Amino acid sequence: MKIVVCIKQVPATNDAKIDPETKRIIREGLKAILNPFDTYALEEAIQLRDQFGGEVIALSMGPPKAEAVLREAISLGVDSAILLSDRAYGGSDTWATSYALSRAIDTIGGVDLVLCGKQAVDGDTAQVGPGIAAHLDWMQATYVMAVDEVQDAGMTVKRMHEDGYDVCEVPFPAVMTVVKGINTPRVPTLKGRLASLKIDIPVWKPADIGADVERLGLDGSPTRVVKTQPPPPRSSSTKRIEGSPEECANALLHELRLRSIV
Amino acid sequence: MRRHIQKKIYHVEVLPPKQDTEKLEADLERFANKYNRVLDNGYCACITDNAMGLLAFQGTELIEELSLPVKPEQVMIHLNTFHTKVELDIILNTCQSMGIQYLLAITGDGSDRLPKLQPADVGAEDVESVTSVELMRYIGREYSDVFTMGVAFNPYEPADHEFAKLDRKLDAGAEFIITQPIIEKNAVVDKLLADYPDIPVVLEAWMSKKLHLLSDAVGYEIPEDTAYDPMATLEMLHRTYPQCGMYLSLLGFKTQFDKITDTWVS
Repeated sequence: MKIVVCIKQVPATNDAKIDPETKRIIREGLKAILNPFDTYALEEAIQLRDQFGGEVIALSMGPPKAEAVLREAISLGVDSAILLSDRAYGGSDTWATSYALSRAIDTIGGVDLVLCGKQAVDGDTAQVGPGIAAHLDWMQATYVMAVDEVQDAGMTVKRMHEDGYDVCEVPFPAVMTVVKGINTPRVPTLKGRLASLKIDIPVWKPADIGADVERLGLDGSPTRVVKTQPPPPRSSSTKRIEGSPEECANALLHELRLRSIV
Repeated sequence: MRRHIQKKIYHVEVLPPKQDTEKLEADLERFANKYNRVLDNGYCACITDNAMGLLAFQGTELIEELSLPVKPEQVMIHLNTFHTKVELDIILNTCQSMGIQYLLAITGDGSDRLPKLQPADVGAEDVESVTSVELMRYIGREYSDVFTMGVAFNPYEPADHEFAKLDRKLDAGAEFIITQPIIEKNAVVDKLLADYPDIPVVLEAWMSKKLHLLSDAVGYEIPEDTAYDPMATLEMLHRTYPQCGMYLSLLGFKTQFDKITDTWVS
């Protein structure tokens, strides 16, 4: 089975702050990490390869420094990695991004399965996986929580939704986005990490993937971000309860009752 | 472990390189140098396991990959409960094949990236989560008589609770105790030594000058400008607790390492 895993370098959102003037994330000094949801896609791909044979290729689009997440993927056990990096890709929205990724997948050739995390934690759109499927005109299963069975022609998966799950048969080639909990992602081994330092990661430009540059970047993106703003701050306060253990317990119970918690 | 104390063998913490380091090769070289210095001086190298939930490389893979020597009496591997069952067995099998004798079993600190052992993984379906107790029971069952296991003791927790936990740990197979950092004579440690005279106790000596970093561990705020002399504290601990071993955390290898040889004089 030939599997491509699409991964993204994102800012560590725990530390993210938004510029009050521009309403954009302040990226300076922000640590860049592998999108947490992508770790589940990588793990699933590696497990499928280990069970059924084949190869796993990690694919990412971003600035040159995004190579770091591809090296991380190598250290986890994927076989090779490709970076799409060029000024022409800059400013792409989810539609243009999924177009570029689909062109790369087509260029790789012979791919049976594309795996993505359910969404990236910086944009939270969950659109790139389905976008790739649309561009390739492949079947897709989103929010996959379990792979039940793999046959030559396709796989049976569970798709999570709010009230339970759907059992779906998905013929190859297919695109799947996976949710947290589908597996337990491994952490890199030292051997893997050392190997990742030595591997060559090719950088593909639009011409390498036969992409129409008119469909890339800001100009190729139908979406416009009109406004970004931070969520309202959570209101929280601390109340210190003093007294004997019994008095404290009674006061705590009173406070909880006031808030209808007990 | 009793022999370590009698022979004045320090336990020196050697922190493994972090997973997210950007200078891995330099960090590996530094780790190897520290490890070798500890062994060459006859001390015991203690390698932590994702301390504070920060992802780092495993002690066993570091020893293997860097072809470091293992002297059974001089290596201790920390082992916490944040592993998959597969990883746990690989670590234990590697320890066994390398001849590593000492394990420090701790519940440990998790993180988003670290898996947690499940009760079924260690044959402990009667509990809701795996602690060092279930971990030790598993090791004792699956690797009978292979390892000497130690446990952590925190004198800053409510004493009744901590001693009850200690009893469970000893019942599960713990054969020595390593405390949280001790910076002065401590009544709970005194009680520990009085009530458990047959169990070797190793005190953690805090070798960093930044005492305020211990605020969370001791449960009260230590001002950042608090003056602290680690070497003087180590000497005080030797004088006050001559029956105990010493675990040196955050030891400075440039300035402190060569001086500790003459510190244990009792």
